[in-house]
Amino acid sequence: MTNIYSSPLAERYASQTMLELWSPATRYGLWRRLWLALAESERELGIQIPDDAIRQMRANLDKIDFNAIAAYEKRFRHDVMAHVHAFGDVAPAAKPFIHLGATSAYVTDNADLILMRRGLDFLRGRVLDVLRSLAAFAERWRGQPTLGYTHLQPAQLTTVGKRATLWMQDLVLDLEDVDYRRRTLPFRGVKGTTGTQASFLELFEGDHEKVKRLDLMVTEKMSFPAPLPVTGQTYTRKLDAFVLSVVAGIAASAAKFSGDIRMLQSFGEMEEPFENEQVGSSAMAYKRNPMRAERIASLARFVNSLEGNANQTHAVQYFERTLDDSANRRLVIPEMFLATDAILLLMSNISSGLEVHTAVIERRIAAELPFMATEQLIVRAVKAGGDRQVAHETIRKHSLETARAMKQGAEANDLLERLARDKSFGVKLKDLEGAADAKRFIGRAPEQVDEFLRDVITPLFAGHTGKAERAEELRV
Amino acid sequence: MLMEASVLPLTPFRRGKVRDVYVVDEERLLLVATDRVSAFDVVMGETIPHKGAVLTQITAWWLRQLESRVKHHMLSADTSEIVREVPQLRAHKREIAGRAMLCRRTTVFPIECVVRGYLSGSAWKEYRDKGTLAGEPLAKGLRESERLDPPVFSPATKADEGHDENITIDRMRSLVGDRSARELETLSREIYEAGRAIAAKRGVIIADTKFEFGRVRQPANGSEASGVVILVDEVLTPDSSRFWPADSYEPGQAQPSFDKQPLRDYLDAEKRAGRWDGNYPPPHLPPEVVDATSKRYLDIYRRLTGHSLQPDGAH
Repeated sequence: MTNIYSSPLAERYASQTMLELWSPATRYGLWRRLWLALAESERELGIQIPDDAIRQMRANLDKIDFNAIAAYEKRFRHDVMAHVHAFGDVAPAAKPFIHLGATSAYVTDNADLILMRRGLDFLRGRVLDVLRSLAAFAERWRGQPTLGYTHLQPAQLTTVGKRATLWMQDLVLDLEDVDYRRRTLPFRGVKGTTGTQASFLELFEGDHEKVKRLDLMVTEKMSFPAPLPVTGQTYTRKLDAFVLSVVAGIAASAAKFSGDIRMLQSFGEMEEPFENEQVGSSAMAYKRNPMRAERIASLARFVNSLEGNANQTHAVQYFERTLDDSANRRLVIPEMFLATDAILLLMSNISSGLEVHTAVIERRIAAELPFMATEQLIVRAVKAGGDRQVAHETIRKHSLETARAMKQGAEANDLLERLARDKSFGVKLKDLEGAADAKRFIGRAPEQVDEFLRDVITPLFAGHTGKAERAEELRV
Repeated sequence: MLMEASVLPLTPFRRGKVRDVYVVDEERLLLVATDRVSAFDVVMGETIPHKGAVLTQITAWWLRQLESRVKHHMLSADTSEIVREVPQLRAHKREIAGRAMLCRRTTVFPIECVVRGYLSGSAWKEYRDKGTLAGEPLAKGLRESERLDPPVFSPATKADEGHDENITIDRMRSLVGDRSARELETLSREIYEAGRAIAAKRGVIIADTKFEFGRVRQPANGSEASGVVILVDEVLTPDSSRFWPADSYEPGQAQPSFDKQPLRDYLDAEKRAGRWDGNYPPPHLPPEVVDATSKRYLDIYRRLTGHSLQPDGAH
């Protein structure tokens, strides 16, 4: 529809998988599963719920009549009750038992936790996809010298592959956080209206053990490690802040990557992939813009701006709960996942199709390297019979002149030629060029790449063979 | 189904996916293995008849076999005896028949002591991808399911959920101290090798297993650190170990699991057919799958011990 607003995350950016995760069908399917788990557990603990009730609930977990629900919601002005009734219509034997003892947060909160946990699983798969591409890239370019930059100024050399390991390491750290949150995320469980389990104590006629067991049984059925020991009506919104902070961390890592790519493309050293018929600029037809990396930056800023929102929502929850979390969470939680999903799709696409322009890289090295080779040049001069202090002064003088000449338009750095011409320096041009060979300036970069891939990256893929998720086409 | 809803008149200590632990008093715990079964991290709706009793009685049998090598936590696995010791359980005798074990309470080390005698599961994947096991290089050219001599000791920390985290021996030392780390490794290797040899004679390969140890509490006379280290938890059961039938053993491929294979095969088929997404609710298990799985457990018990399972754990 073009006459009403729809979210660009759904229209353009996020993957089908992530959109399905946050869809009404998935969410309300989970509500029904939670109602089934509650009824099954209550029955196992002695509440008289007939077989038919359980059977009918099971048979209708995903047969959701959204029109009927809309009609009920219009009448009741209450979404959970609308769903209870619609479920009861298709599972009439269960109608008297659905939601027995529970409050809305039983389904809404527990479903949110399940969705966030699955969301983390999806993102994890995407991060692994990116790492797989970057690992191949780092390996291929492990020994290609390139200018390093500190303060955004040319600094000692590194290699193209080594720089990629910096991007990868950030993601590996994010993965560790994802895994920790994924593993330890608790369940809201079965707690009642203000978290005291009063309605369930009533239901089980004062049997505390059965009430505790119900909480554990449902938690176990939904494969969570443990329920929160205590809650108000809702689970503490701190959990949202924890999870979303991990998500925001991934976005930040991607944004750092995108910044580097955009600058490298500006330098002409590297370029992100470009489709055959892609148009760079409507006016400047020759242009090839790093628009994918720019989109990462754009979406990541959105995600990162929302990170603090989750903590604020937690901060303003009063007593056992207030409803000012509701509308906000409805937006923030799915959108942070959807946007980060989109970011990782872009990052995966860029990192599997990066073009490296070695000629430009080498030209840029040549413009800077002779300046960086001072120590090596001095050693050559002394070995040729010179005096260390004299050689240093000679280099200083010629370096300043060379730099001045370049700023005034000289095309190349001719420091080595100047030194070779200076009889007082006493070293031949060929020797000087040998001393200033880029390969001598990359330290352990190639070995660091090898070690990083071997010790950090390969173990991550132990047990994984193919891509973690089905292939998604990037919408550019 | 009986065990599902049962709540014994004891203070619950912990409820696991398939096992419940109750406090009897300061010195004793009651471990009750239920007939619940889980696969792919999901607990099934159906229970497996006799499974709980088989697990408890296999542990009891092993502890008697191994008594000369290691002290352990078992006081009794004989239900009549347990009920005499803990009279509150009299009304629940039928529910706990064969499944319960009365144990000494210990301070448990926070370490899963995993010993691998065959290259399988996650260890095989690590070796295939990196040539290492538990981070240490291993001989080249090993095949999947190949026997490892000597076995490899690879500790893990106990995570809240199913997936324990592998740790290095150094990490283990920093968690429990040098002396205890050495002691736990030595005990684990000894018990595993003894168990592997005994099981091999009975046609069962114990591919790998995990042990837990505790220190006897001595509140009366001196510090906990001086207490004796004893074997706790379940021991060399199909739930704590990978059991393979020896007669069909063939390295170079994955081996069928002795106990849960019928269940896994069924669930795999349901997944492949798109009828199950791997989450709750799991599919209903047809009676023949439940029966086949139950028979597997009883068969393992018979193979190992040479006897059929006695209903109340008497021996």
